Amino acid sequence: MIIDLPHYLLLSAVLFVLGFFGVLLRKNTLVIYMCLELMLIAATIALAAFSHFNDTLDGNVFVFFILTIAAAEVAVGLAIIVALFRQRGTVQVEALNHLRH
Amino acid sequence: MTTDYLKSVAESNQWWALGPEIMLACAALGLLVMEIILPKKDRRFIPYAAMVAQAMVLLTVIFNFQTTWLGENLFGGLIKLSPWGQVARVFFLVSSLLVSFLGTICLPRTKLPRVEFYHIVMVVTAAMMLLVHSNHFVMFFVALETVTIGFYILVSYFRDNALTLEAGLKYLVLGALSSAIMLFGIVLLYGAVGKVSVNGITHTGFEFETLNNFLRHHPDNFLAIAGALLLVGGVAFKIGAFPFQIWIPDVYQGAPTPITAFLAVSSKAAGFAVLLTLVNQVFTPLAGVLVPVLSVLAAATIIMGNLAALTQRNTKRLMGLSGISHAGYLLIGVVASFTVPWATSAVWFYLGTYLLASMAVFGVMTYLTGPDDTNQTLDHYEHLAKQHPFLGGVLAVGVGSLAGIPPLAGFMGKLLLFIVAFQAELYPLLAIAIGGVVLSIYYYFGWIKSAYFEAWRPAATATTAAPQSAITTPSLSGKLILGLLALATLLLGCYPGPLSDWLPF
Repeated sequence: MIIDLPHYLLLSAVLFVLGFFGVLLRKNTLVIYMCLELMLIAATIALAAFSHFNDTLDGNVFVFFILTIAAAEVAVGLAIIVALFRQRGTVQVEALNHLRH
Repeated sequence: MTTDYLKSVAESNQWWALGPEIMLACAALGLLVMEIILPKKDRRFIPYAAMVAQAMVLLTVIFNFQTTWLGENLFGGLIKLSPWGQVARVFFLVSSLLVSFLGTICLPRTKLPRVEFYHIVMVVTAAMMLLVHSNHFVMFFVALETVTIGFYILVSYFRDNALTLEAGLKYLVLGALSSAIMLFGIVLLYGAVGKVSVNGITHTGFEFETLNNFLRHHPDNFLAIAGALLLVGGVAFKIGAFPFQIWIPDVYQGAPTPITAFLAVSSKAAGFAVLLTLVNQVFTPLAGVLVPVLSVLAAATIIMGNLAALTQRNTKRLMGLSGISHAGYLLIGVVASFTVPWATSAVWFYLGTYLLASMAVFGVMTYLTGPDDTNQTLDHYEHLAKQHPFLGGVLAVGVGSLAGIPPLAGFMGKLLLFIVAFQAELYPLLAIAIGGVVLSIYYYFGWIKSAYFEAWRPAATATTAAPQSAITTPSLSGKLILGLLALATLLLGCYPGPLSDWLPF
């Protein structure tokens, strides 16, 4: 079987949808955060595949920018999650409902 | 690929064109250096140094308003300066200056480090200025993420307050979600365009012009339409338009008040600047898809924002929810810009009046909050007009302008937007918007009422007096700035000429 552009796009779309529903449905903030990274990775796979099959290098270069940004996002995000855990002692989504009218 | 082409790309690297951004970023780094080298007793001057630096950058932009590079592709097509980008630069600098001023009121109440606040505000502002000038999706995404990550830190800045951290986490998760959706849209657009060779030089779908050309020839490409919709969805999150508005009340309530102002004004304006660029320069051939989508978004946003704000008593949530409806009115301007060219001007005029009015209101709110920043209800405003007539007056002018009461600037902004909508023949949207404005007068006047008139209490509960807020008495400079904002709001309502003439259309 020859692995072609549609296969890569299918993989990317599946990962993206998995990540999206993971963010909406999972209850643990850390798992939600992993799902967000999964969505970024899905976009990266599609980007690398398009870049390869369209024969342009721009997409490959963009991947490095995305990785850098994702790393910065994780650094800040984990810091916020850790700070929240110190204040509340939990990172479950159900417990995060104190902001109300 | 010839040497001539490489030479022309090399010549397009005009670093002076990005002078304001570079100056701002260097000044931001300078603040951190100052914190290290200055003795402890002199560190309280650092915020003022930050404000002076921003004011100088602002003057630089204003004096070089007509730069030589307007409309040219710089840095090999990454950056394109436009008159609207220049307006946006001035807007973001004024806004960040006022946010820094609010920070000088708010931060001394806490024991948290202060310099980083001004540092991140300046870096975020520089990134926003790059964002509105970007002409290439890589530049666009990197600038946008710099803004977003900066905001994650700023929203959760009061890290000793559990509510602030909760707001920070909510903003983090939903912001990252919208960024991922937007990124996927960019990738789809890139994939749809593929490889375009012009005179032996390869272009890709990352470049705005190439993408626009492609869409003109293939307006019904499925991949491209899906990508465009995902991208617009990501931007809709930033401006808080209808299905993506859920984060706004919680984040606005939990964030430090200066940052709530920053989110409400700068972040929203950046979203609209980006949306206007995308709609008017890139996605013009997709008007058939985007006009209905954006119209429905605008209508739903106005209705949702106004209805949710009706019963709200927490003022920060109220500002957030009413801000959603303001985003709805502005979206009407964006929809109209497909057919009426001066709609862009009307949108920026509205954003300008929104800046003045919101900053005046947030200024009063910052003076009113005690040590717990997240809980400020309308009850805290009781006796405000009697005890602090100045703050009460500024509040009345600011809130009145947000409501769109005739002699104030907000009225002119709404009037221009409605004229644009009328010219673009968007009658149903116009009707919804006018209905929304009428509704908004109810909750805005509730706010003014609680500041000016005493609530009647039955004698039995007279002992439980209204919750007292710790009002910081404004300093002279604080009074000056708030007074200027209120005065500008009043004058622009009577003579809109100066601002509308200055806008480049």
